[in-house]
Amino acid sequence: MKRRWVSLGLSLLGPVSALLISAILGAFVMLAIGKNPLQVYAVMISYNLGQLDSIGSIFYRATPLIFSGLAVAIGFKAGLFNIGVEGQYYLGAFFASWAGVYIKGLPAYIHLPLVILFGIAGGVIWAWLPIYLKVKRGAHEVITTIMMNSIASAVMLYFIHDVFMDQNQGTLGAPRVRMPPIQPTARMPTMLGFLHAIGIDMPNYVAINWFLVLAVLAAVAVYYVLWRTPFGYELRAVGQNPQAAEAAGINTKRIQYQAFLLSGAIAGLVGLSDLLTYFGYLDIDFPKGYGFSGIAVALLANNNPFGIILSSLLFGFLERGGLGIQALAGVPREVTTILEGVVILTVVTVTAIIGRQVRAYERHMAAIATAAEPPVDTRAPGGGQ
Amino acid sequence: MAKTPLLTLTGITKRFPGVVANRDITLSIERGEIHAIVGENGAGKSTLMRIIAGLYQPDEGQIVLDGRRIQMRGPRDAARLGIGMVHQHFMLIPRFTVAENIVLGEEHARGGVFSPREAQERIRRLAAQYQFELDPAELVENLSVGAQQRVELLKVLYRGASIIILDEPTAVLVPHEVEELFANLRSLRQAGKTIIFISHKLDEVLEIADRITVLRAGQVIGTVPASQATKEQLAEMMVGRPVLFHLEKPPVKLGGPPIGVLEARDLTVLGAHRREAVSGVSFVVRQGEILGVAGVEGNGQTELVEAIMGLRPVAKGKVILLGRDITGQPPSTIRNSGVAFIPEDRHRQGLVLPMSVWENAILGYHRASAYRRGIFYDLGRVKDRVRNLIRTYDVRTPDINGRVETLSGGNQQKLIVAKEMSSAPTAIVASQPTRGLDVGATEFVWQQLLQARAQGLAILLVSADLEEVLALSDRVIVMYRGRIVTEFVPGTLAATTIGEYMLGTRRDTPAAVGGENA
Amino acid sequence: MHPDLILAAGASSPAIADAVASAIRLTTPLLLAALGAVFTERGGVVNIGLEGMMIFGAFWSAWGAYTYGPLAGLAIGAVAGAIMSLVHAIVSVTFRVDQIVSGVAINTLAYGLVRVASQALFHSATTSPSVPSLTRIDVPLLDRIPALQPLMANLSPLIVFAFALVPVSWWVLNRTVFGLRLRSVGENPLAADTLGINVALMRYAGVLISGLLAGLAGGYLAVEQTSMYVEGMTAGRGFVALAAMIFGNWTPVGAMLASLLFGLADSLSIRVTIPHVPYQFVNSLPYILTIVVLAGAVGHARAPAADGVPYERSGE
Repeated sequence: MKRRWVSLGLSLLGPVSALLISAILGAFVMLAIGKNPLQVYAVMISYNLGQLDSIGSIFYRATPLIFSGLAVAIGFKAGLFNIGVEGQYYLGAFFASWAGVYIKGLPAYIHLPLVILFGIAGGVIWAWLPIYLKVKRGAHEVITTIMMNSIASAVMLYFIHDVFMDQNQGTLGAPRVRMPPIQPTARMPTMLGFLHAIGIDMPNYVAINWFLVLAVLAAVAVYYVLWRTPFGYELRAVGQNPQAAEAAGINTKRIQYQAFLLSGAIAGLVGLSDLLTYFGYLDIDFPKGYGFSGIAVALLANNNPFGIILSSLLFGFLERGGLGIQALAGVPREVTTILEGVVILTVVTVTAIIGRQVRAYERHMAAIATAAEPPVDTRAPGGGQ
Repeated sequence: MAKTPLLTLTGITKRFPGVVANRDITLSIERGEIHAIVGENGAGKSTLMRIIAGLYQPDEGQIVLDGRRIQMRGPRDAARLGIGMVHQHFMLIPRFTVAENIVLGEEHARGGVFSPREAQERIRRLAAQYQFELDPAELVENLSVGAQQRVELLKVLYRGASIIILDEPTAVLVPHEVEELFANLRSLRQAGKTIIFISHKLDEVLEIADRITVLRAGQVIGTVPASQATKEQLAEMMVGRPVLFHLEKPPVKLGGPPIGVLEARDLTVLGAHRREAVSGVSFVVRQGEILGVAGVEGNGQTELVEAIMGLRPVAKGKVILLGRDITGQPPSTIRNSGVAFIPEDRHRQGLVLPMSVWENAILGYHRASAYRRGIFYDLGRVKDRVRNLIRTYDVRTPDINGRVETLSGGNQQKLIVAKEMSSAPTAIVASQPTRGLDVGATEFVWQQLLQARAQGLAILLVSADLEEVLALSDRVIVMYRGRIVTEFVPGTLAATTIGEYMLGTRRDTPAAVGGENA
Repeated sequence: MHPDLILAAGASSPAIADAVASAIRLTTPLLLAALGAVFTERGGVVNIGLEGMMIFGAFWSAWGAYTYGPLAGLAIGAVAGAIMSLVHAIVSVTFRVDQIVSGVAINTLAYGLVRVASQALFHSATTSPSVPSLTRIDVPLLDRIPALQPLMANLSPLIVFAFALVPVSWWVLNRTVFGLRLRSVGENPLAADTLGINVALMRYAGVLISGLLAGLAGGYLAVEQTSMYVEGMTAGRGFVALAAMIFGNWTPVGAMLASLLFGLADSLSIRVTIPHVPYQFVNSLPYILTIVVLAGAVGHARAPAADGVPYERSGE
């Protein structure tokens, strides 16, 4: 039992020290622009936790990050870098939007799930080419996925502006570059009614919705798949020692393929919370950057699904806090973006260092235990003669 | 008239966790001689050489060079004292030229400018000085292995070495390259250099060396002048007293006459540098039989095992399991057909080190429905079985949830053996199954193999440990340079004779070898 | 984006020269970054953070040019890129963190830092005011030929510098002791280590060179090409430069030829319309080309043998 606590403590050491270091570095940045860090952090905390709408907003912002973090983490666990979550979620949002606008006549309990499936399909389709090229031709998936991200932007622009742009916007002035509104049967309801029923009076403008629940369920599901199924076992083995996996009869290429497509599938869900609850239509200014934030979220949580929920909340906290400190303390909200980058670097560095120390210590202890056993060279040959 | 020796080692002892690699070694090397150090794998030769080359520091004892006691903290100290080492695994950069490889680090360039032509000219002169055949402008990756070795030799000569250590230099050479090497060594000796080399190939050692020192189990057994030594004498010093084994072998229980289970037919497998690592190997392993593959490591055993398990492509020939051709099938098919595998490198192929003990205990059998309820693992059931397993096979671990890399090597190997044996296979391929294990673990593994044999399994045992092979096997084949050179039943051949087969100085005709397997 | 020309056989000569001139201008930042990538990867360190270093360089050179003039601006941009790369070197060489993760983190960090700095210094998170550029130069003699006019006249000196850097890079890599040792460290760090070469120092040098050049590449974009900093102006060029390096087989000349190819694709993508193909896809030509290159190039191209592997001297 003690081992469990020790190893839990060690695994938290990385993220916690990273956060501390980031807070300190962020303080330097604030000082550089003439602000008092303590005051700024105080404002951030009171703004975030002292208001109900902030808390709700944090959960809302965390929702896409949970999906993104899970997508990235699955890739990491299999030894793959899915930097393409960004493009995969654009395509997911587009497919979902199309299904939400143009498939008519379905009741909500069929339409909404169908739209979600379209979103998943979009992510899978966009993830296919990089993993195919990696498995067949050894093309490094980092660069190919990043290229796919750029191409995705172009594709989105084409479809939204040239093909599906809403011509019936009827407002004065220049029409927005967006697709037609998604039908009500495909919209995801907010959790406001539910929260109200249990006594939480969340203001109407907070879009906290049932995708949050879906995200948490997805995290639980990912945990169970990775650690409680043969598929997840093979995935982790391939990520940690492909040669031993191969010798044990695991088909490493097929596992990599499947893992990456699964990652793409979850990536397809990233944009749906914003699309189906808040916006209701796919706009050229659809939120960007969830893909990269997902990398930060996954690294901070060391690719653990439950940790990803926590780190997503943290990043949601930071982003919300950014608004607060900008409005109330005059600090540009981009400071929180810097904190994200610093967090990634410190986490991976500290984790690498700690990991090596722990392993060296454990090996040292094991070597001593071995030396306590009789040494090899005094062995009597073959049981005597 | 006595000359003071150039190099004297006194009481050198070197320990690693769990093993004493060199024990109280005392020997002296004369100036201008070619001195060979021979012994089996694990006798401590490489460790001793690394101490002389400054890579390791001895725990006890002292080294005296030219009358002065020396202490070296690293290879650069050794280089300054004129000691250079040519490693068994070359430290060369394939994409660089010969000249670039040699001058790297000691470019003697003015103003930081490097002129390949000038470097090549310098190397050309150096090579001519020692009569080495080398083109300094050639890329190392295009060179034959023998030529690459000459580059390594020139590297140490370029840095002014007067004592040159060579670690198993002929291990990777074909016969005519060996002749070239020896010619080079003789001309180096003529130039006043002192050469120490490690080998286990007695014929070659007798041909080139002036004196020979034999190591066994970390100690010096003796030093003899080559002119007075014989192969038999050396083999006996290397291997020790002839060992007769009377392990209690439980009787084999079979339903009928033993059928052939695992068969190799004219198997040819390619290895490094696209050379044939296995050439036309054929054998049959029957039910209730242990077929031992003896031989010094590096004679194709690794490639043979990998080809059988589907981890390496087969160039020619077939692998047959219970009458079915499994040549080139993926490892999963071969394992699922009932072949268990104990790999020679447990860290690379046997275990996933960051995973826990229990997760490693099901590696390769992780899809078994017995472990699952539906699509999910029933962890309770899995861990119960794992606990049973480690109890039965005496794997010592404080916690099955801990990472497997914290287990001692012995317990790691026991875990692998346990999981492979308990899968009720029809055949077992075991490669170096007791490497690095202590007495208790070794005997336990042997008992397991014998019990499997008693239950009618067919076992292919590959091991560089001759004692082990002779103790366990019903029949033994010896591999040398990818071919089977003899087959015999333990107890019918003297250890020295076996040694000769292993060292390439004796071989049976192919017909005599193949006949047993018809 | 002006799809105003359709290139077909028999297009007028100035139009071709124009397109080529534009290609050369678009090649320059790619070339600088790709040359930098050659240095870091020949030393064995993968630098995915090239994009972030370009962004950093673009912004700081804009600020430098705004405050002190174009030359100072470019120098500051290069140094800014080098500072970013120093972080990458510390994390991936000294702490042996996975080089790809470190690179991705650098990109995120650069993006955030630049936004904050831009807001603080220019009061706009996404753009700077317009900044002065270097005086344009003309190639003597060749600019008298009318057909070559667009190519040889009115060039940014940085373009000449970038192309001149190609033979210089080749010389440094193949004719200096530094280059020899750098390459050895990327091929077989263990062998280099046994010969007394400081592997970490060499790798740091390679990474810093890539940072300098990537920063300069960003500086070109901001100071010379558009005369201002705009967020997103790098548009993935850092990654395209990596692909150019791979396609160019990790050599300076190869990187130049590959960068020219990408630059040409870039130039065509804004000048050409292909019937029935939406312009967005034509604009994506460089990215599609990168994927094609990576899919085909691997297997023919050969990376330095120890590229991407952190070096750890194993104890006895």
